[in-house]
Amino acid sequence: MGQKMELACIIDDDKIYVNLVRKIIEIKKLSENLLIFKNGLEALDYFKIILTNMTEEKLPDIIFLDLNMPVMDGWEFLGEFIKIKNQFDKKITLYVVSSSIDPRDLERAKSFNLVTDYLIKPIELKKFEKIFDRVASVA
Amino acid sequence: MLNDLQLNNILEDFDIAYWKINLLTKEISWSDHFEALVGTPPTDESLFEHFMNNVLHKDYRYDYRVAFENLTLGSEDLNQEIRLKLKNDKFRWFECRNLKRKDSNNIETAVLLFVNIHQSKRDQYTIEENFFYYRETAEMTTTGGWYIDITTKSIYWDDVTKKILDCPKDFNPDYDKRLQFYAPEHQEQANSIFEKCEKYGIPFKTELKMVTLYGREFWVQATGKPVYNEEQQIIGIRGVLQNIDENKSNELNLQNSLDIIAAQNSRLFNFAHVVSHNLRSHSSNLSLVVQLLNEAKNTQDKIDLIENVEDISENLDVAISRLNDMVSHQNLLKKERTLVSFKQSLDIVISSVSSLINRESAKIIAEFKALKEISYIPEYLESILLNLITNAIRYKQPGRVPVIFIQTYSVNDQNFIEISDNGIGIDLDQYGDKMFGMYKTFHSNPDAKGIGLFITKNQVETMGGSISVTSTVNIGTTFKIKF
Repeated sequence: MGQKMELACIIDDDKIYVNLVRKIIEIKKLSENLLIFKNGLEALDYFKIILTNMTEEKLPDIIFLDLNMPVMDGWEFLGEFIKIKNQFDKKITLYVVSSSIDPRDLERAKSFNLVTDYLIKPIELKKFEKIFDRVASVA
Repeated sequence: MLNDLQLNNILEDFDIAYWKINLLTKEISWSDHFEALVGTPPTDESLFEHFMNNVLHKDYRYDYRVAFENLTLGSEDLNQEIRLKLKNDKFRWFECRNLKRKDSNNIETAVLLFVNIHQSKRDQYTIEENFFYYRETAEMTTTGGWYIDITTKSIYWDDVTKKILDCPKDFNPDYDKRLQFYAPEHQEQANSIFEKCEKYGIPFKTELKMVTLYGREFWVQATGKPVYNEEQQIIGIRGVLQNIDENKSNELNLQNSLDIIAAQNSRLFNFAHVVSHNLRSHSSNLSLVVQLLNEAKNTQDKIDLIENVEDISENLDVAISRLNDMVSHQNLLKKERTLVSFKQSLDIVISSVSSLINRESAKIIAEFKALKEISYIPEYLESILLNLITNAIRYKQPGRVPVIFIQTYSVNDQNFIEISDNGIGIDLDQYGDKMFGMYKTFHSNPDAKGIGLFITKNQVETMGGSISVTSTVNIGTTFKIKF
């Protein structure tokens, strides 16, 4: 407890949701910084730039990935992210966060090794804290 | 000369009984075998009357009496097929005829033979009956027979086969042109199965598309088996072909309906999923706000959060009205098809989006000459045109004046419309299967709502058609609708 995460990342196109999560992180002081992407492609581009070592940008400790997004949805992002994740020099914890309660989505998300868990929106504040705590203490 | 006993024994071996008739006294005597067949006659009645009343089947009594009289008068030979009641009360067929005498001078006695022909008569009936059943079955199931004589390279068809193929009864099929009766796409298959049967004796049973003399295509089930001569060489192929067009087209229709139902079912599932997802995303935001409100330490924080509630309620409202839109599109189904003019529909669409068209100075070229109108739900056609035209303008190539080319045509009684644009195009390898999904937007365009193509596909399929797309990035996109 008490350890604070350095960088968290949210990939989600719902502005209201993103603002609320940002508030939670600020109020609960869960992470120093927050990366926000409004679709999978923007996030993927960011990670690819890091791999070129041409930037000072950092890798997040944790990613909250939405599924339904325009341009590149969560599934496509997962497909692309798998290809490059081995080139990262640190472990990134990834949670899929969706308001879909479709069991097929849950099943599919769990089939990815790199998905730690499938979280159904809304996430309770306490659950948020727990997740951040766990990841920060491991890091 | 054989005596009666010897003659009787010989004839009995052949199951032949006889009468001897004294032509002068008209006296009749039965052979032992005849008596053995029909039973011992009573003594108080003349043999002939007993025979007429108790042995001969009543249907033959009149004719037989006349013929018998003619015989005893010596004027005519007797030769009839008759039925006799035997000892066991069963009727059997006999051929009855007199033995002809060489020396016509000495005719004191006539011999009347009774030959049991029951088996051959029954065989004849069976054959007639079988032939009747065969013909009825062939007619009812429209099954025709055919034979190919390999040695003479000639083809024989029965009447039903000729009827199936719309050929007159005196039509003689030409061996060299035999493949013309198969649909072009099935000629190779037909050729190969006949060849296999001819060369290796492999029988076949297959479904093929044939063509009648007048070019009408239809489905048949055909069977064929090799015919061998005594040296076990294949000399011909024979078989039957059955017109199964009705069954086949029913089968295809059924499969088609099944596909449509399956597709609609999956869309319904998708729809339920989308409804749940969309409503949940707002309610979950609301729940987050409530949690944050509980945590909020001062009034300013609370006021900030209340602003979120306003946004959420606004978004929820939009989501619900979009879902309503979709449901109301589905409701149009209850409307009926009428003859719709493509030009009129297009004019309505163009006037409804004239501001967009003018702003982008889009050019719309329409060619409806080949197919001017179609039986359709007018609202659907307008909605389809509207969606595809606004899409084409919205995703124009920057700096290029949007041009939309619309063309209708019909091929083999099948009607089509094609809507092509010169826009930015789309990478189908990447997005092809999702193109018509709900809430799929491929461009970071704020206008994109992701339900237009979903609705278009839905409408096209509800009317029993299909929609496909071809596209090249930076060149343009063509949507093709099969009505």
